[in-house]
Amino acid sequence: MTGRSMLRVTLVIFIVLMVQQTAMLALRIGGAHPDLLWLLPITAALLDGPETGAIVGFWSGLAFDLVLPTPFGLSALVGCVLGYAVGSLTKAADPRATWLKPVAAAAGSVGADMLFAVLGAILGQGEMVKVNFVSVILVVGLSSVILVLPVSRLMRWALAGEGNRRSLAPVRSESRAW
Amino acid sequence: MARSRRSRRTLTVIVLLVLSLSLISLDQNGRTHSLTSGIKSVANDVYSPLRQGVLDVFSPIGNFFAGAFNYGSVQAQNERLQRTIGQMRASQLEQGFEKSQLREITALQNLPFLQSLPTVTAETVDSYSSNFTATITLDKGRDDGVDVGYPVVGAGGLVGQVIQSFHHTAVVQLVTDGQSKVGVTFGSTNQYTGIVDGQGPTSSMTADLVAPHTPLQKGEPMYTSSLDAAAFPPGIPVATVRSFHTSAGASQETIHVDPAADLSQLAYVDVVQWVPKQ
Repeated sequence: MTGRSMLRVTLVIFIVLMVQQTAMLALRIGGAHPDLLWLLPITAALLDGPETGAIVGFWSGLAFDLVLPTPFGLSALVGCVLGYAVGSLTKAADPRATWLKPVAAAAGSVGADMLFAVLGAILGQGEMVKVNFVSVILVVGLSSVILVLPVSRLMRWALAGEGNRRSLAPVRSESRAW
Repeated sequence: MARSRRSRRTLTVIVLLVLSLSLISLDQNGRTHSLTSGIKSVANDVYSPLRQGVLDVFSPIGNFFAGAFNYGSVQAQNERLQRTIGQMRASQLEQGFEKSQLREITALQNLPFLQSLPTVTAETVDSYSSNFTATITLDKGRDDGVDVGYPVVGAGGLVGQVIQSFHHTAVVQLVTDGQSKVGVTFGSTNQYTGIVDGQGPTSSMTADLVAPHTPLQKGEPMYTSSLDAAAFPPGIPVATVRSFHTSAGASQETIHVDPAADLSQLAYVDVVQWVPKQ
């Protein structure tokens, strides 16, 4: 990742953190709220592959760890694994397929939340598995499908200098929805 | 070429995973926990004003639309609140004499009386920041006299306990959190004891370690116990009984309880500067 991309990614992480901690926390449905954090490594991995996904996942997770009451480093670990997994699993898929982003966002976010809760419980925070998983899965999954589009737009801007690579390559205007 | 790129990628991911695990170990280790706590404290000092700034810009816009769409219900709610305040004022005057008597009795028994303990009033700036914990964040921290372990009361009862304290903010674990356990007494002469367990933010709390067939009533209040070394001062309303039954052969009564405090109305709370007896 170039220095310019790093600065832009930092700015995107900051914007998403602020939106999450202000607007998203107010949108509680059935005791759960949307989780924008996981969309950062997912979109980075879809746009630029597993390595960038893991790097963005680690740093965005670390930024969220600073303000969450959960164990420090846990979001960074899950974000890193998520970015790498999404990048590796979607490597063979056509990056411009319309189904790819929503499916990766929903499955990735829900999977990351499950991993986050289980690892938290292993680390002694047993209360993390005492939540209504049905509402968490529904709210996080559905909101991720909707919110992946603007987050992907931001991440595309942040990683614009990266030459590699998957859906960052110039595309014809009619297929450049996101 | 492709192989070297692949090995570089693998190395990057391994380094990041090791870094994450190291941070978790530092946080979990009692001796190095202060390091991660210090980092979080500094980050919170920077982050809180920024977040407040964002809220100050966008809240009036949200409030404008919310007020416009819900004008009727807001007006009705305001009238209900005015009526409740009137009733509470009358009740407060009536209770003055009883309180002074209670204060004298508790002083004679060397028990702390909640209203004689120093408190710090704090505003809730953040609630349920994670889907997996029931916590709120207050705008007061160590510099304002708020420390880890202090009980938090408000909205009609015990709200929770401070679990993290930074320079100017503190995190409170609510009584509904899965990790929360509060020793309680109940009954006409507070002769029964139990433990109120949080079951997570979306599940009802339970009262455990209560003997089978203990007489109970729906709506019966449970208060913090006055046992030595208890984590809370005695007499704070914790929960009210919602339902109860004893299954055949069970070693304890199954009791579901509701929090005494209205946890949806936590704009302001009081942090009680109370340290349990060692």
